[in-house]
Amino acid sequence: MALHRSRARAVAWRLAGHLARGFVMILVVTTISFLIIRNVPGNPLAARYEKLVEQGMAPDAAARAVEVLYGFMPQGSLWDQYVGYMSGLARFDLGESLMVPGSPVSDVLLSATKWTVLPVLAGTLLSFLVGVVMGVYAAIKRSGVLGDMLAISGSLLHGVPQYVLALLLGAIFTTLIPILPAGGTADILYEPGFDAAYIGSLIEHATLPVLTYALAGYGGWILAMKSSVVTVLGDDFILAAELRGMKRSIIFRYVARNAILPLFTILALSLGLLFGGSIFIERIFNYPGLGLMLIDSINNRDYALMGGAFLLITVAIIVANIVADLLYTVIDPRVRGEGETA
Amino acid sequence: MAAEQSSEQSSDRSSAPGVRIRGLSVVYRTGAGELPAVSGIDLDLPPGTITGVVGESGSGKSTLALSLLNAVQPPGRIAAGSVEIDGLGDVAALHGDGLRRARGRHIGYVFQAAQNSLNPLKTVGGQLLDLGRSHGMGRSHGPDDLRGLVREARGLLDRMGLDGARVLDSYQHELSGGMRQRVGIMLALVLNARVVVLDEPTTALDMITQATILRIIREVHEERGLTTLVITHDLGVVAEVADNLAVMYGGRLVEQGPTGEVLGDPRHPYTRGLLAAIPRLAGDIGEARALPGRPPTLDSVPADGCVFRERCALRMEVCETGRVPVVSWGSRTAVCHAVQGAREDVKQTVTAGTVTAGTAIADMGEEQA
Repeated sequence: MALHRSRARAVAWRLAGHLARGFVMILVVTTISFLIIRNVPGNPLAARYEKLVEQGMAPDAAARAVEVLYGFMPQGSLWDQYVGYMSGLARFDLGESLMVPGSPVSDVLLSATKWTVLPVLAGTLLSFLVGVVMGVYAAIKRSGVLGDMLAISGSLLHGVPQYVLALLLGAIFTTLIPILPAGGTADILYEPGFDAAYIGSLIEHATLPVLTYALAGYGGWILAMKSSVVTVLGDDFILAAELRGMKRSIIFRYVARNAILPLFTILALSLGLLFGGSIFIERIFNYPGLGLMLIDSINNRDYALMGGAFLLITVAIIVANIVADLLYTVIDPRVRGEGETA
Repeated sequence: MAAEQSSEQSSDRSSAPGVRIRGLSVVYRTGAGELPAVSGIDLDLPPGTITGVVGESGSGKSTLALSLLNAVQPPGRIAAGSVEIDGLGDVAALHGDGLRRARGRHIGYVFQAAQNSLNPLKTVGGQLLDLGRSHGMGRSHGPDDLRGLVREARGLLDRMGLDGARVLDSYQHELSGGMRQRVGIMLALVLNARVVVLDEPTTALDMITQATILRIIREVHEERGLTTLVITHDLGVVAEVADNLAVMYGGRLVEQGPTGEVLGDPRHPYTRGLLAAIPRLAGDIGEARALPGRPPTLDSVPADGCVFRERCALRMEVCETGRVPVVSWGSRTAVCHAVQGAREDVKQTVTAGTVTAGTAIADMGEEQA
């Protein structure tokens, strides 16, 4: 029988297990992505080298020129490269980017990350909050017109692809009613810094991407919350609470807490996808996030950057899984004392 | 608060509230219009007694139980009748906050053990406090009455053979079926409700636990001076705990009276059929005869005439239409033309097997009492 004391112990055990499993998963994924990336046809250095030779440069001069341009020339077998890559990883060294010569992959990733994580996070949380509240409302009013309309709005928005939403919003707010900038992260007029004008411009530019993320997510949340609330409303313990004369406000809290539980898992998992970025939306709004960066790195055969991006996405998803599970351990007493039922 | 409650109890022990159900009809709205689930029920729960209501599933017994709290779930509603409870009035006429306060304080409801009647995310104690706060304890009255409530709850749980403090600290999933059922009884009684409705209190429990729960129901009923209604499909349960027995079929009461008398000398053909269907421990399994046919559902209950006629061996022409007479004698009633027309004759036409099965049950009931 799990008492409160065992809660911390259970959490610690689960955490240890997850970390071990996560480590193995990261190892496997980095190995696979290393192999895939190296086997993608085309090699930027070789291509550049051959181009220079074709233009009439002597082979050694061409090799030197390439080395100067990119900082290095990959040498050695696949195995040597793999060992080098993995030992670099162990020291948190992701190598240097080919696309942006001279800058470490981690720097490139970091600068792209902030343009993805913040808007996606804002959009996800916004859609979660609005979707959950509306979902509760749609469930309670499910036999009324308003409830129906809410559910239909959810289904519609859920069905529209993100990029269509992005184009639609872009068309409305930059062309029909031109009140928002069409792309970029901030007006070039302002110097990046902690002043109101720059931050205002940042927010202005982030509005459309955030709105797109929020609208794209909203449909899923409202539908999931509605069905979850309807299920809980049919549970025996809700009728039991009513028959014991419990106050409506207390019963409402029972319903809400039980209904939102499964949604927290989805939320934690979707936060793991933050780092994947959205290629379409970043392209449409010309937002230099991870999605755009990933495309560029693939076009440029930037192995190191690709590997770094894949690693980042992998780690984010694994961490999100761990967080989702631990969150469950904390908020759902039934998961806590696994295998110790009375 | 707790002290006040117990002193109140000892002084009131003899004066448990009586319940009078008159002309109660409950209808459910369906695609085919409003169909009756329960019609024209007249039933008295005398103060301080245990009344058992038996019937097959779909007989309307659970709807009757919910009506006692005016809690028939939509699309159902109480279409007619009253449920008078001493000291409370007509429950069917209550609504809003008055109704909410009556639930829990005046009338306790105990769910079937297999049903999860507790919030899985809160400890029993946490839900107990929510219950207290719902009924005006805490903030305005100071935390003392909540402390009294917890004491009372712990006392009740200890009384039922559990470790009260530990149970209050547990979640539903940490409790066994029998423990959950005792927690359900505690939550129904902790606010000092004197009318208690138990819906299938022993279903889904193992035999030993069933016996324990029935003993607890009987003992707590005596100690706290309750008026109790037990809903069940199990004649054995009724034989063991109930003073009075009411048999339901197709949404109507077909026979009622003191448990021993009804089981020992059943008059309604349905009651006889129920008793004949019980296999006995000693004796040939072939002696137990299932009632032919199926119980009616909401849309197949005959609107006119006797509801049982489709399955009745004594079916007569007069059963097809019109009202079936209510025959009363002594403290018993039966709703049947055959009982009215030739009470003595009917008794004689009963096969030997039926009578012995009935007697066996009645003996059991008396032993327990």
